[in-house]
Amino acid sequence: MEIKSILIANRGEIAVRVINTARMMGIATWVIKTAKEPNAYYLTQGDHIIDFTERTEEIAEFLDIEAIVKAIKDNNISAVHPGYGFLAESPVFAKRCAEEKIIYIGPSSEAIFKMGNKTIAKQLAREHKVPLLGGSKGNLASPEEAVKIANEIGYPVILKAASGGGGRGMRIVEEEKSIAKMFKMASSEAEKAFNDPDVFVEKYVRNPRHIEFQIFGDQHGNIIHLGERECSVQRKHQKLIEESPSAALDENLRKKMGEAAINIAKSVNYFSAGTVEFLLDDDMKFYFMEMNTRIQVEHPVTEMITGLDLIEWQIRIARGEKLPLKQSEVKINGWAFEFRINAEDVQSGFSPSLGIIEKISLPRSKNIRIDTGVVEGSRITPYFDSMVAKLIVHGETREKAILYSQNALKKLWIKGLKTTIPFCNAVLLNKNFRKGKYDTSFLTKEMTKHYHEGQDDEMLAAFFATYDFVNEVEKVETKEVDFDKGKNIAPWVLKKRLKSL
Amino acid sequence: MVRHNGKTQKDKFYACTPKGKNYEVVNPLGEKVKVKGKSLSVTIVNEPGNFTYLIYKKKKYQLEILEKNQNKYTVMINGVWYNFSIETPISYKRMKTLSKTQVLSRVEKITAPMPGKILDIMVEEGSQIKEGEALFILEAMKMQNEIVSNVSGKLGKINFRQNDNVMKDDIILEIERA
Repeated sequence: MEIKSILIANRGEIAVRVINTARMMGIATWVIKTAKEPNAYYLTQGDHIIDFTERTEEIAEFLDIEAIVKAIKDNNISAVHPGYGFLAESPVFAKRCAEEKIIYIGPSSEAIFKMGNKTIAKQLAREHKVPLLGGSKGNLASPEEAVKIANEIGYPVILKAASGGGGRGMRIVEEEKSIAKMFKMASSEAEKAFNDPDVFVEKYVRNPRHIEFQIFGDQHGNIIHLGERECSVQRKHQKLIEESPSAALDENLRKKMGEAAINIAKSVNYFSAGTVEFLLDDDMKFYFMEMNTRIQVEHPVTEMITGLDLIEWQIRIARGEKLPLKQSEVKINGWAFEFRINAEDVQSGFSPSLGIIEKISLPRSKNIRIDTGVVEGSRITPYFDSMVAKLIVHGETREKAILYSQNALKKLWIKGLKTTIPFCNAVLLNKNFRKGKYDTSFLTKEMTKHYHEGQDDEMLAAFFATYDFVNEVEKVETKEVDFDKGKNIAPWVLKKRLKSL
Repeated sequence: MVRHNGKTQKDKFYACTPKGKNYEVVNPLGEKVKVKGKSLSVTIVNEPGNFTYLIYKKKKYQLEILEKNQNKYTVMINGVWYNFSIETPISYKRMKTLSKTQVLSRVEKITAPMPGKILDIMVEEGSQIKEGEALFILEAMKMQNEIVSNVSGKLGKINFRQNDNVMKDDIILEIERA
């Protein structure tokens, strides 16, 4: 199958990321222009634009399957890349593409469906002898069943929506007396959020590590893994910093977990890029959580240590090519971190900081990579996520990667927005993080303050504020000359106000 | 002008933080700047249309004035922001006297920090609220933000309901301080 052109059904940095690889492969790219950000940077990078700015449909642009399918057909585009989020894990979209003979750059609709349904995914894991947390075999029929199973596996337990994800529709239950009530709440919440009231229960592991394996399969039955990523620096289940490899794994455990990940993927004849997520507890026991059937935000850390282009692999595999490497040929080189630079105010509970990027200056070096969908003048809108850029840093060892990261963050300047940079600085200075000893409770337990401030920062800021204030006063007093000539009255009024301060 | 005015001492200022810290700044525009009695040797680089930064002890600090309103400033330095009010010796003295006698406003107004939709309100009118208690969930930018109370007290009026869309700075609810 030939791919002459790709529609990118996404925006922001991932659209730019896919365009870069497609361009290198000589494939034309199409991007979708929306009324929400008609001047976005990714639009300047694609070869062709599909204009969705005049749409009146209620459904959001990047979720409108039929409109996207029609645009692909009308423009005779060969393939579609869904990116992450939006339609990236929609089995319906993948199926519609297949029906219309559009090459979907991702796994089969069936694989997306099975892994998207947590109950089926767990069933498959059980059949393939992949370790799972104890819990219900499927969805819970009643609160009584929840009580019964919870008593068997022991508290704490967690109730989860079968169709949930990203931390939504989850309830941790510490004791028997509250489980019936929590079950009802979780179920009604799931119904509201996902249109599916089904809930299941499983053992809750306190403070686990979040370790995920990048896997890759082709359409000829070959599946390999490209090592793990440690994503335990999270806030409310949102990843903030990722690294690869993980400091927690040794070769033996890596091999075991990698094999388990491959087994999960094999259970659905998986092809394209996928990620198998595990929880790892204090005793180095791992449990299958879920499989993400798409390219992940944090895929660059894997690329940095393997030297591979995962988007290129996705495109090649969608064309029907075989995997370019065998498992034994995958070489891991050094260490890589990814920092999500989000437009968020870390001093006010990570609340979004909307605005315009007035100026941005990025560090440049052989071991630094920046994936971004913004340039100077770009606007961070409330319509999409708050990511400004991903800073990815490679080092020969973890220690060096940390040092290079600290230096890179110092050179990453953004004007116009508050960002998560001070948070990243604080994490990199944390003793236990530096030792690689951290888990998903890191943010709440280890970080008493979510940002790093230098010793002299407040003093220098105080000086600068005073400097600017006095400068303004002086400007006003200089303008007074005009007043003497009877030209300008405003400064006089201002001066009087300043005097009376 | 500012520096050599014989009548009033205009070369001495105080940058005060909301938490009551203050930095005495002497001669901010001059050659010999003093902060808290110590001389400060800095270079400010401030070109229009470019980054503003200062150099202090051979290190660069990125600066940005996020907000200013008369003498109230929000300044960001290397990504971390601080609030200050800039006072002259006279206004500083008056502020000190006032703060001793001033009683804090009894009613704390909780406003929306950003535009969004209220997904859930976890409290009821008339209930007792503890500092740090979750009040409501505001959805913005696909994220659910839990808004917590910064005071303890009794909850007065709730001005919005679940699923209402709110604008930035809308007063969502009011808490009477304990």
